[in-house]
Amino acid sequence: MEALTAWLSDLKADFILNFVAEERWKFITTGLKNTLVITFASLILGVLLGVIVAIVRSSYDKTHHEMRKGAKKSLFAVLNGICKIYLTVIRGTPVVVQLMIMYYIIFATSRNSLMVAILAFGINSGAYVAEIVRSGIMSIDEGQFEAGRSLGFDYKRTMLYVIIPQAFKNVLPALANEFIVLLKETSVAGYVTIRDLTMGGNIIRAATYSPFMPLIAVAVIYLVMVMFFTWLVGMLERGLRKSER
Amino acid sequence: MSDKYLIETKDLCKYYNGGAIKALDGVTAGIKKGEVVVIIGPSGSGKSTFLRSLNLLEMPTAGTITLDDVEITAPKVNINLHRQKMGMVFQHFNLFPHMTILKNMTIAPMKLLKKSKAEAEKTAMELLKRVGLEDRAEAYPSQLSGGQKQRVAIVRALCMNPDVMLFDEPTSALDPEMVGEVLAVMKQLAEEGMTMVVVTHEMGFAKEVADRVVFMDSGTIVEEGTPEEIFENPKNERTQSFLRKVL
Repeated sequence: MEALTAWLSDLKADFILNFVAEERWKFITTGLKNTLVITFASLILGVLLGVIVAIVRSSYDKTHHEMRKGAKKSLFAVLNGICKIYLTVIRGTPVVVQLMIMYYIIFATSRNSLMVAILAFGINSGAYVAEIVRSGIMSIDEGQFEAGRSLGFDYKRTMLYVIIPQAFKNVLPALANEFIVLLKETSVAGYVTIRDLTMGGNIIRAATYSPFMPLIAVAVIYLVMVMFFTWLVGMLERGLRKSER
Repeated sequence: MSDKYLIETKDLCKYYNGGAIKALDGVTAGIKKGEVVVIIGPSGSGKSTFLRSLNLLEMPTAGTITLDDVEITAPKVNINLHRQKMGMVFQHFNLFPHMTILKNMTIAPMKLLKKSKAEAEKTAMELLKRVGLEDRAEAYPSQLSGGQKQRVAIVRALCMNPDVMLFDEPTSALDPEMVGEVLAVMKQLAEEGMTMVVVTHEMGFAKEVADRVVFMDSGTIVEEGTPEEIFENPKNERTQSFLRKVL
């Protein structure tokens, strides 16, 4: 019993040292804020980029052998080539390296590290989103496409009304997974001096020489966020599925 | 039925692998307004390819297609406008699974013909009533049987008020007991004077409803004529051999 009391009071002292003293909890809250800002902003950028690249890639695969020769076809081929290079480079190098290249080379003159991180993570995520969305578009039966075209819809509107809504529903679980990966991947933002959630915990650890509390706290916060978003996506998925039964 | 051709094809060819495979090898044909043409032939004969090239779902390698005096195979023709006048029914229905039956039927008239929602829905409900499915307007395709899906697919195409209806083996994916209900709708449509091109294996339908039967093999039209001519007295040896197998 005495041992338990001693342990509890140790824990309490540890907690006060790590979070209360010198308002160290602020490292966690500002870190969390930065993590969420980076995650959501790069998610939006990533989805935008990803959908555009996916549409270019799948449209090219679907239509290039039917297109008439000419400037339009050549332009389309170049665009498709650029998308392929983007996918290869981004998916072939680690995100930390991309982040550092962005910060120390491409935007070496900028000190807005948050913006640089959003760009780096957004561009990185876009490549993965692109492949997820493309697989969704390609998974829709060719007959759906033909039905849209046979009614008189052009390629664009067939995509918009018929293909994309079905593809989106199919890839939602994979997109949610990508989002969760992104949320955790932003933990390397500290490499370019950003005080994200992970960095916040690490700063406390370095100041107090007491690693247990800050690191476990950081881990629990990530875990709770991931569980919350997983639950949210589950609700959305069920809502979408309901419309078909 | 008038004497003028609504659709005319000249030397239509479709090659794959640079000419190694000839799905269509010079098909010249005409379909008159109000005519019901049934295309029969063994699998791989090019009959589906021919039908699908009429609205350019298959881009022909060579040859021309004329619809209502407009050459739709010419470059710079807006095929989307001409497809609106050609309804198409597929073997696998191809209803949009994420839309209700009513939405399936109204989306094209609303977006392409700029009809109001009320107007489009009125037309759709009238057509659904004709095929006995007005109580399924709010259902999703997954809740319908195969025969019901195909009847919806037919009336979805009719919502665009097309000049001609193309049927690509409309009963081949159906359970036997559902074939009749779909053929009945098609027969009714034929009796109302709709121009129809039908690729099918239903020889009974061809005999009963067709104005003209076309027998295709190896990407060409081997023989054509009235149902009596083709079924009672086929002249070509290939037609005879095919009919012996299927009848």
